Amino acid sequence: MTELPAIAPVLVALSTGIFTLLARSWPRLQRVVVVAGTLGYAGVVGALSWDVVFASDGARIVYQVGGWRAPFGITLVADGLSVFMLAMTAVVAVYAAVFSVRFIDEHNQQVYYYPLFQFLLLGATGAFLTGDLFNLFVWFEVMLMTSYVFVAFYGNAIHTASAMRYLVLNIVGSALMLLGVGGLYATTGTLNMADMARMLAAGGVAMRPVVGVSALVFVTFALKAGLVPFQFWVPGAYRAAPLPVVAMFVGVTKKVGIYAIIRLYFTVFGTASVPTDVPGVAGDTPLAFLAPVLLVMAVASIVVGGFGALGRDSLEGLFAYSSIGQIGFIAVPIGIAAATASETLRKTGLLAGLIFALHHALTKGLLFLATGVIRDTAGTTQLSELGGLGERSPGFASVFLVGSLSLVGIPPLAGFFGKFLVFDTAGRQFATQTAGGFWAVTGASCLLAVLLVGALLTILYSTRAWMGAVWGDQTEPVQTSTVDAGEVAILATLSVIVVAVGVGFEPVYEFAEAAAESALDTDGYVDAVLGGADE
Amino acid sequence: MTTVIMRTTARIVVPIVLVVAFSLFLQGHNLPGGGFIGGVLTVAAFALVYVAYNLDYLESGVLGREVEREASIGQHRSVAAYRRLFMLGLVVILLSAFAGVVFGQPVLSQSFVHLHLPLFGDIELASALVFDIGIFCVVVGGLLTVFSVVSAE
Repeated sequence: MTELPAIAPVLVALSTGIFTLLARSWPRLQRVVVVAGTLGYAGVVGALSWDVVFASDGARIVYQVGGWRAPFGITLVADGLSVFMLAMTAVVAVYAAVFSVRFIDEHNQQVYYYPLFQFLLLGATGAFLTGDLFNLFVWFEVMLMTSYVFVAFYGNAIHTASAMRYLVLNIVGSALMLLGVGGLYATTGTLNMADMARMLAAGGVAMRPVVGVSALVFVTFALKAGLVPFQFWVPGAYRAAPLPVVAMFVGVTKKVGIYAIIRLYFTVFGTASVPTDVPGVAGDTPLAFLAPVLLVMAVASIVVGGFGALGRDSLEGLFAYSSIGQIGFIAVPIGIAAATASETLRKTGLLAGLIFALHHALTKGLLFLATGVIRDTAGTTQLSELGGLGERSPGFASVFLVGSLSLVGIPPLAGFFGKFLVFDTAGRQFATQTAGGFWAVTGASCLLAVLLVGALLTILYSTRAWMGAVWGDQTEPVQTSTVDAGEVAILATLSVIVVAVGVGFEPVYEFAEAAAESALDTDGYVDAVLGGADE
Repeated sequence: MTTVIMRTTARIVVPIVLVVAFSLFLQGHNLPGGGFIGGVLTVAAFALVYVAYNLDYLESGVLGREVEREASIGQHRSVAAYRRLFMLGLVVILLSAFAGVVFGQPVLSQSFVHLHLPLFGDIELASALVFDIGIFCVVVGGLLTVFSVVSAE
């Protein structure tokens, strides 16, 4: 079976999950299984990326599960966009898994931590690969089920309260998504994304209900991504969950929301046209409806995230708000890509969004894991009780420095290219708008201004975290502590990756470009999935 | 709840529920029913026994074993058995998913054969049943674990 690589990540994650469950009574074996399984996952994802992107130049591997042909069965599609997301997931997952082995204490490791971790990974992997809208919902649920447990993992009052809020919000979100998917099925008569795209492009489907109903699905995606005004769950959940899992939440779960927006709107709805007479909506595609909404949400996220992060007094809180702002930075270029009519700018926009997503997953993953080291070391992450970690452990300080600098966007780190491309997209958008009348110019310049303010806020809160935790005199909890050298060593290799992505940016750029191209290539997607099927 | 009426009802109803569950389970791969529904009904039967008698009844009354007092419900012998059933179910599911690959078919591919047996006549034997057995075990094991632990608190 030449298509087997497309489903391999799902199978590896599933098998590892089950094996870790079986090995529960032998903690040492379980740890070996989880690390080996996650490395194996990274291996198959790497092989898949190589097949799809580098070896064959933008091919798609389509897997018809159970031998049922699309659009009747469930199809898994590994295209550039999917494998880009998977590759990002694999890196974060490997580090989160290895870090968990050291970070999570013996007793808690016994409480189904690893099986749940693998099922979280499984849910995200399925969501990235599936080519079926209802199946996407199912994978979302797989991911959510495990994340509920993780938010409530430590089981104290604060964790239970956060878990309750997270649970209620996400159940409402899931219900909305189910309604939306049902609505899309009622209007188009299919759930297969490629089939849906084909029918929408061919016309003959009532587009207005499709756009309207898709708003319900969009709300759920935005909720997953944590865009304002759906960001409420973020700080509480990030404070409550175990920190390696938080790295997974930031690096993977949030990106599933972003991925789903791109997949649904750009790949599936991208070639459809809809008659518009709504003020403020220019253009005649569903993307034109997405653009203003997404841009407003993105701008609000940047502002809320930035200012929120300034006011937090614990490191997790600060980074949680920061990641709300960073999701805004990812959403801005995607919103611009949706707004623009130019093909190149659309591709550039998606590319910028994807690169920033990658940077965010790596950098924020690094910083959350570093927060884990601090928690382990000093027993607290309150900025007021920390200080002088730099003196205590220069190795840790340099890891933290790399993370902070990448977050700010200093070349040649990963964050520089992320931020650079976002500003590049916004700048080009501004250039195309100069002929577009007063409101267009005002809108584009406001967008640029907000991005600048956001970048400035990032510098401010990163400095605050750095000053609070690493510089200054050693406080009581820091003085009496020992920094776990193993944890620092793990993080050091991750920070090397953050640097390497920036220094060797060329292949990363190609990878992301292939991802953006495949996201926009609706016809190729439809052909790959339905090709050979009788039409 | 352990009134005479309750216990008498349970005695009559539980076998019926189990038979219905089993028949739903068997027809599941191409008619309404299946591992999940069959599993849930089976759990309902067990739940009825638990409500009418108690958590130890299966051990002491049915299997005739001595029941030891464990430190926590998690170590209770039935609960441990349910957990093992849950894991067994997952393993069955995994194996049945991979079975197709061994025969050069996609993952989760299914097949069926018709058998002619004396007395029974034509019997359809579907490979989907194996997958269903896995689901059945997961549902029964998982739900009963939750049920026993929560009811013990």
